[in-house]
Amino acid sequence: MTPTVLVIAETSGAAVAGPTQEAFGVARSLAGADGSVVAVTIGGPSAARSLALLGPKEIWVADVPPESITSGAVAILAAQAAEESRAEIALVGGTSFGRDLTGRLAVRWGAAAATGVTEVAIVRPGALRVRRPVFGGRATETRALTGPRAVIALRPHAFPEAPATGGAPPIHVLDPSLLSASKGGARRRSLAPAETGSGPSLADAAIVVAGGRGMRAAENFRLIEELARSLGAAVGASRAVTDAGWRPSSLQVGQTGRTVSPQLYIAVGISGAIQHLVGMVSSRTIVAINTDPGAPIFKVADYGIVGDALAIVPALTREIRRVRGLSET
Amino acid sequence: MEIVVLIKPVPESETRLRASPDGRRLDSEGVRFVLAGYDESAVEQALLLKENVPGSKVHAISFGPARCGEALRAAIALGADAATWIEAPPEGSDDPILAARALASALSSIPYDLLLGGKHAGDDEEGIVVGAVAELLGIPSFGSVTDVRPAGPSGLAFQRPTEAGIESWETSLPCAIGLQQAWNDPRTAKLPNILRSRKAPIAKVDWPTVAKALGSESSPRSLSEEFRLPAPRSGAKMIEFQTPEEAAEKLVRLLREEAKVFP
Ligand SMILES: Cc1cc2nc3c(=O)[nH]c(=O)nc-3n(C[C@H](O)[C@H](O)[C@H](O)COP(=O)(O)OP(=O)(O)OC[C@H]3O[C@@H](n4cnc5c(N)ncnc54)[C@H](O)[C@@H]3O)c2cc1C
Repeated sequence: MTPTVLVIAETSGAAVAGPTQEAFGVARSLAGADGSVVAVTIGGPSAARSLALLGPKEIWVADVPPESITSGAVAILAAQAAEESRAEIALVGGTSFGRDLTGRLAVRWGAAAATGVTEVAIVRPGALRVRRPVFGGRATETRALTGPRAVIALRPHAFPEAPATGGAPPIHVLDPSLLSASKGGARRRSLAPAETGSGPSLADAAIVVAGGRGMRAAENFRLIEELARSLGAAVGASRAVTDAGWRPSSLQVGQTGRTVSPQLYIAVGISGAIQHLVGMVSSRTIVAINTDPGAPIFKVADYGIVGDALAIVPALTREIRRVRGLSET
Repeated sequence: MEIVVLIKPVPESETRLRASPDGRRLDSEGVRFVLAGYDESAVEQALLLKENVPGSKVHAISFGPARCGEALRAAIALGADAATWIEAPPEGSDDPILAARALASALSSIPYDLLLGGKHAGDDEEGIVVGAVAELLGIPSFGSVTDVRPAGPSGLAFQRPTEAGIESWETSLPCAIGLQQAWNDPRTAKLPNILRSRKAPIAKVDWPTVAKALGSESSPRSLSEEFRLPAPRSGAKMIEFQTPEEAAEKLVRLLREEAKVFP
């Protein structure tokens, strides 16, 4: 069997998004030795050159001004690339861009669809099996996708990023006039860039350090931020913290906040209410630091420390700086 | 503005999850299904817009089994003006593309300027339906949206937090939006309205009618094969220590050597 797998790549200038690199790894294993991996991206020549390093056999590009990039426009361009490449499977990274695109592209291209996928296998031609967490990671389901085509959005951090292999594939430029079929007058007015310098954003951080009411006071939250900085982690918070106004609600993890699934989640002074757990329980490794040995958070944690956060967290920050060879800042 | 809210009943958040006897799906026996999570925010956003744009109407629509009725009544109790249940086939109600096709087909006879849904449902978390319905109807769509406000005579402005930052958008109508958060926390229904909603009429489109309209597209292409609960985490490995320094050192060693989460 020789499937063609299309990666719908997310690029910004010459940078290829991490989730796209993860998708390349999955695409290579689905294509196997006999199939091929191809890619499409919205971007210019530098985007195409960066993508080429990931080794696709062919690349399709379309240059669309950022303020006009809607999921409708991308679906048209991606479906065109899928037709021209005769792909059977389209993969997207699990970003807000990828999740928005999946349903539209599936309809346009006549495909079955699944998002948040952590495992995918070809059962036989025209039949895929995917596995995905559901209920905030409290369960998983396996689904059979049938039919000649499928669009799959991968869960972020579920797969390793593919190493660059190099290559000089043919590059096809998609005709922007294809977009005249896209209706509606949507325009992006502005983009307030995510704060940089304060570390990665909660949504795509590989490590999250989250603090709860157990931090006792707004000023102690600085200990959480210092630990996060030593780890290159994002900062999260329980609702008790955001409701008290210690930190903004954009940091809230849980049912009414963000859902995160990092490699490592460190919950400090958080009791582990179900509404908090649904937002973080699918993290790969969970550490809990809490004075109460009976706190429910220990039921979902891999490692537990029963102790006072105000003493443990600074010691942890020092230890991490030590092993990473970082100086005190 | 004609506002259509797409809702899906999901198990109450405190539900103890179990697999059905055949192991293929959630055992819904004894489970209470409710209007919850992002769908609740979508209803809230619809009501806020209705309050701000005179002459607006909110119509709640749900595709699925008979329990959709409960979620639709909850939407009516909160202030929706009309409700329609689109019956799903016994097998395939959880195929998001089939759901989108059924909803889009029903929308051929329901007026809409704005379609609102949650950014994803709290059970399967697919987040596919809103975009797929929009593609079928040929209108723009946006997921993970916050803070939708009227803009100009017939447009909307909203924000969209993405990995790159917070985008601000303006769009003409009609369009479809998957909502992450409204301006307010979802309101709760008042008791008299809850009582009144029990008798409110709910329009029904039965599955044979939908299937006829969809023709060859009426069979599901995404089927649940297995529903599995994670092996209970064996409980945390508790770190024994005398001093905070010892706790820190032991934890960092475990994270590096056992969990291998950083070098
Ligand atoms: C509809 C609804 C939606 C909700 N959505 C969310 C949500 O999205 N996210 C969310 O987080 N919550 C949410 N909640 C709230 C949730 O139920 C809890 O109230 C909240 O998570 C508690 O936050 P906490 O763990 O920080 O505080 P608490 O429950 O007060 O826990 C504090 C913990 O800190 C420990 N502690 C105290 N002192 C120390 C110390 N010195 N060192 C170490 N540990 C210490 C205590 O033992 C305790 O376990 C929601 C609730 C409802 C009803």
